[in-house]
Amino acid sequence: MRIIVDETRCEGYGFCAEAAPHLLELDDEGELTVLSEQVAPDEAANAEAAVRVCPVAALRLQS
Amino acid sequence: MSVTGDTVKDTVKDIVVVGGSIAAVTAADALRRHGHEGSITVVSDERYTPYVRPPLSKGMLKGVETEESVFMAPPRSDVDFRVKTRAVGLDRERRRVLLEDGEELPYDGLVVASGARARRLGPPEAGELVVRDLDDALRLRAAFAEAGSLVVVGGGFLGMEIASTARGLGLEVTVVDQDPPLVRQFGSLLAEHMTRAALDEGVRIVRSPGGVRLVGQAPVTGVRTAEGELLEADVVVSAVGDLPNVEWLAGSGLGGPEGLLVDDRCRAAPGVVAAGDVVARVSDRTGRPRRSPHWGSAIDQARAAALALLRGDEAPPYRPAPYYWTEQWGLDIKICGRILPGAIPEVLSGSLDERGALVRWTHDGVPVAAATVNHRMPVVKLRKLATAS
Repeated sequence: MRIIVDETRCEGYGFCAEAAPHLLELDDEGELTVLSEQVAPDEAANAEAAVRVCPVAALRLQS
Repeated sequence: MSVTGDTVKDTVKDIVVVGGSIAAVTAADALRRHGHEGSITVVSDERYTPYVRPPLSKGMLKGVETEESVFMAPPRSDVDFRVKTRAVGLDRERRRVLLEDGEELPYDGLVVASGARARRLGPPEAGELVVRDLDDALRLRAAFAEAGSLVVVGGGFLGMEIASTARGLGLEVTVVDQDPPLVRQFGSLLAEHMTRAALDEGVRIVRSPGGVRLVGQAPVTGVRTAEGELLEADVVVSAVGDLPNVEWLAGSGLGGPEGLLVDDRCRAAPGVVAAGDVVARVSDRTGRPRRSPHWGSAIDQARAAALALLRGDEAPPYRPAPYYWTEQWGLDIKICGRILPGAIPEVLSGSLDERGALVRWTHDGVPVAAATVNHRMPVVKLRKLATAS
C-alpha cells in the first residue's frame, strides 16, 4: 500500500501528520513531507486515519 | 488508585463512543494509536457512515463535488461502527449507554461525541431548511436546482457560505440578520470586506435588529422582519446557529443547554470524556462555558479525550489552538486564534482590496489571531503569527 499526497490540494493543516507520525511529517516550514510513501501493514490503520482527518481530501491510499 | 498511565489503562477495556462524525472517528483512531486493545463500539444515529461536513455548504452544495466525495475512508475494521443506532440514555452508575432499541452497551470508558444540530426558528413541521447533515445539503441542492431566489436567515459563517454558493448558481439572494454579518467571527475589518464582496456580487443584506419570523409552512415562503418587511423567496434557509445534542444525557447529571462541560483534559466525569461540537469549556477569558464547534477543534479535542480516557492525569492537558476557515465570494480565508472584540488588525502583507492578504490582530499589544485571505500559508506558520510577535 502507498500513501499519496496531492500537493495541489494539500493546505498544510497537519491533522494527518499527527494521525500517522511514522509516515507523514510537517517540515520546519510547516509543509507536509512524506517520510515513507510505502505503508507497512502495521501502519495501514494509521494511514487510513490520516486520510480520514484531511478536510480537503488531499490524501489517498493506493494498494 | 494507581496514578501510572498503564495501570489506569488496564481498567479501561470496553469503550463506547456516541457520535458518528469527525470527533467520534478521530477518538476511535486515537484510542487504537495509543494502544487501546479492548473493544471500541461507535454508535451513530446517522444513516450514513462518517463524512466530512465542510463541503456541505460549499462544493457539494454547489454541485462541483459529488455526494460520494464527502465520505471518509470507511471506519477501521477493529472498531464496531454502528450506523442508525441512537443512544437515548446514560446510566453512569452501571456504566451503560442505553440505545433506542432497548439494548444496553456496557462501558469502562465513554466518549461523548454526539455533536450538535441546527437551531431552528420554527417547529419541525414548519418545513424550514437548514444545513447540518448530508441529507440537509442534498435537500437544499435539489431545491436550488429549481429555484430562482433564496432568503438566508443568519449572516454568520454558514449563512454567508450558503448565500455565496447560491449566488454562484445564479439565484437572487437576500441575507437577513439581527447584526451586521460575520463580525463576531471575523472582526470588523474582515467582516466588512467580506460583506462588501457579497454586495458586489449583487446580494441584498437586510438588517433586522428585532429578528424575523417565518412566513408559510412546508414550504416556508419567506420571512417577515420585526420591522415589518416581508422577504419572499422560492427557498428559505435558516443558519441561526446550533444546539448541542445533550438530551440523551438527561438524568445522568451531565450536560445542559450550554453543552457538556469538560475539564482541561476533555473529561466530563469519571470514565467519561467528550469531544466535538457537544463540548463546552470554561473560557479563560470570560469564565463562562463556551463551545467551539469547528472541524479543527473536534479533531484536537478527540485526540485529547482519547488520551485522557487511557491515561488520566498523565495525559497532556488540551490546549485549544483555534483554527477555522471559510470560502465565500471568491475569498478563501483561514484563521488561527480568536479575533477578540476590540483586537486591532494589521495587514502584514498584500492588500484586502486586491483580494490577497495576511492579517494579524493584537489585543493589548499581544498577538491573538492571524488570517490569510487567498494566500496559502502552512497552518504552523500562521499559528506562530497568531501567538508570537
